[in-house]
Amino acid sequence: MYNAVVNELIGSLGLIKPELALLVTFVVVIIADLIFKNNKVNLGLSILGTIVSGIFLIGMSGTNTSAFANLIAVDPFSEFFKYLILISTLIVLVMSEFSEELHNRDVWMGEYYMLVLGMALGMFLLAGATNLIMIYLALETMSMSSYILSGYTKEIKRSSEASLKYVIFGSLSSGIMIYGMSILFGMTGSLDLYAIQSYLAANGFFQPAIFISGLMVIAGFAYKISAVPFHFWTPDVYEGSPITITAYLSVASKAAGFAVLVRFIKLTFFDAAGSSDESWIMMNSIPWDMVLAVLAVATMTLGNIVALWQSNVKRMLAYSSIAHAGYLLMGIVVMTNTGLMSILVYFFFYLLMNFGAFIVVMLFAHKIGSEEMDDYEGIGYQAPVLASLLTLFLVSLTGLPPTAGFIGKLVLFGAVLDSGWYWLAVIGVLNSVVSLYYYAKVVRNMWLRKVDNGKGTLKFSIQSQALVMVLGIPTLVFGLFFGPIMRWAEHSVRIFLGN
Amino acid sequence: MLIDYSVVLVYLIVGVLFVAAGIVTAALIRPSRPNPRKNSTYESGEEPIGSPWIQFNNRFYIIALAFIIFDVELVMLFPWATAFKEIGWFAFWGMIVFAFILALGLAYDWAKGLLDWEKPNPQIPSLDELVITREQYLDELKKKEQTGN
Amino acid sequence: MLQSIPLEYYLIISAVIFIIGSIGVITRRNAIIIFMSIELMLNAVNLTLVSFSSFLGDVSGQIFVFFVMSVAAAEAAIGLAIILALFRSKQTIYVDEVNLLKW
Repeated sequence: MYNAVVNELIGSLGLIKPELALLVTFVVVIIADLIFKNNKVNLGLSILGTIVSGIFLIGMSGTNTSAFANLIAVDPFSEFFKYLILISTLIVLVMSEFSEELHNRDVWMGEYYMLVLGMALGMFLLAGATNLIMIYLALETMSMSSYILSGYTKEIKRSSEASLKYVIFGSLSSGIMIYGMSILFGMTGSLDLYAIQSYLAANGFFQPAIFISGLMVIAGFAYKISAVPFHFWTPDVYEGSPITITAYLSVASKAAGFAVLVRFIKLTFFDAAGSSDESWIMMNSIPWDMVLAVLAVATMTLGNIVALWQSNVKRMLAYSSIAHAGYLLMGIVVMTNTGLMSILVYFFFYLLMNFGAFIVVMLFAHKIGSEEMDDYEGIGYQAPVLASLLTLFLVSLTGLPPTAGFIGKLVLFGAVLDSGWYWLAVIGVLNSVVSLYYYAKVVRNMWLRKVDNGKGTLKFSIQSQALVMVLGIPTLVFGLFFGPIMRWAEHSVRIFLGN
Repeated sequence: MLIDYSVVLVYLIVGVLFVAAGIVTAALIRPSRPNPRKNSTYESGEEPIGSPWIQFNNRFYIIALAFIIFDVELVMLFPWATAFKEIGWFAFWGMIVFAFILALGLAYDWAKGLLDWEKPNPQIPSLDELVITREQYLDELKKKEQTGN
Repeated sequence: MLQSIPLEYYLIISAVIFIIGSIGVITRRNAIIIFMSIELMLNAVNLTLVSFSSFLGDVSGQIFVFFVMSVAAAEAAIGLAIILALFRSKQTIYVDEVNLLKW
């Protein structure tokens, strides 16, 4: 009797080749760490494994099916997020090589690479998960690795404190999430998101238990994307962690969280049969769009307003990433495929901008020894290339033309206005205006305040400058030639909706 | 239906009363004459020296951590063992991969020296300082006579 | 004499345990007690899952319990390691004394 099941499982193994490549890399890095005891070998193997996984991912483009009997979905939507996660992992691995925080303290980097690979594996599985068990396991794999990574430089007290706050908050949120999952399982009789959807389609009346358990599960995802009011860990963890991990968390972890949030909401609570590409039909008259709209407004507003009085650049970037999560949540509120496409486009540009900003902040922190905005005074004249690139990234984060950030916000607000959510778009635009203040504060400090602190021109290595250019040039180019990205996102919006 | 649980309630009350009666009666009957010797901490007949709070040894935590992880692996092994016969080779290779990854973790622990039970280094006095030659002994005796007189 | 216990009793017990666990996480100062309360919350979830699973006759709830238990063990291990690392540098485990990162 089990032969059919086993045959299907073996057949599905071919569909998860990228994840298998990451797993094999993880094992190989552990073995190589024991045999060679050389950090460069570990770094080289991790980068090689990530590239191999990327090659497998390219080879699997276009598949639109579910693997392992509805446990994971391999579809263009998850493929887009897997590309984002792979690019972030590559950038973080290269960035770690330049990070003095990690190398000056004689910290053994073997476990760091293993944990980054483990986190990437968890994020890959989370982007495709369609079963409640799979969502929970992938979320926890990703979270556990990031708990340890954020406390990696344990001699710095802030790092251990950030890690402790992250663990407590993360365990609490995942406890609430699985309680919601257990009630959802009890009410609908199945752990599979497709089966839950068919149960909800059959019983179309409003059930408070389903609403509340759905809210609890969304609370678990909202913690991951740092939506308000589940955001309290974000500033402390972003400020205390090593800056490479901060950059990784702010981009890749948010991407995976958004992937699973969108998949959960669309698969579970929307009618597959009645929905067209442009409008999704909500079932059970649960007002998910209002719930998400409230979350989006609260997130945007709090992120932007608290960032106004920050003086530490890392903490300011943390609050700005909370605000960007708010803008992204607007894309789900509209409940159309255009909204989803705008989220994908915005995420791609957000990756470039955020990583670029964090790398420049890291390089500056090495030379001037501080991450305070006041210490950036006059640095525009001491390090012109990097300072102008940082200006470009901050302008892009605000959303001014001709940068990629402007295109992202344009597509996002366009989708919101197209669906008639006028008040939401107005709040979004007002928040973007407010965000200009704290981004411009850094730019003003760099270029318009001249301070003679006797340091002269700061020299940075060619490789680190090249890395920042690799992120900065696309930010400018995609602001003008954004067609390919839009087409890619439009193609990827198809979420596999079950048989 | 709740009336069926009256048995449990009676059991609970009788149990509490039993223990409480013993303790209350003993507290009422016994004399209470404390003195400092009786109130001091018991240390198997010795005199207690210093504070009872000692510095926690790290190696206990590491061994407990390794134990909990392999105990959970054992929990995963039980249902696999039950269903193994019906599933066949796929189950075998799946469990080999799972156990291999955990064994790799154990090998990592071992190689990094986390499983070493560190012994304290006692200072063994070397024999050269204790043993002196006969001439040295006589010299020291002469010195003591000269300083003593 | 005792008929089979209806489902609501299990759910109410597990909800009460979940709430006690969450109040423990929110209120307590000692970081180890906070982790104990988190384990309490996860055990309440286990109880909910097993009771629903036996009521519905579907075994997937109990399979979920396996994974929740193993993840709870791993989380406790990591949490305690982080508390140890924090204790080494700050010599305290009371979370209200760990306040270097503020507004």
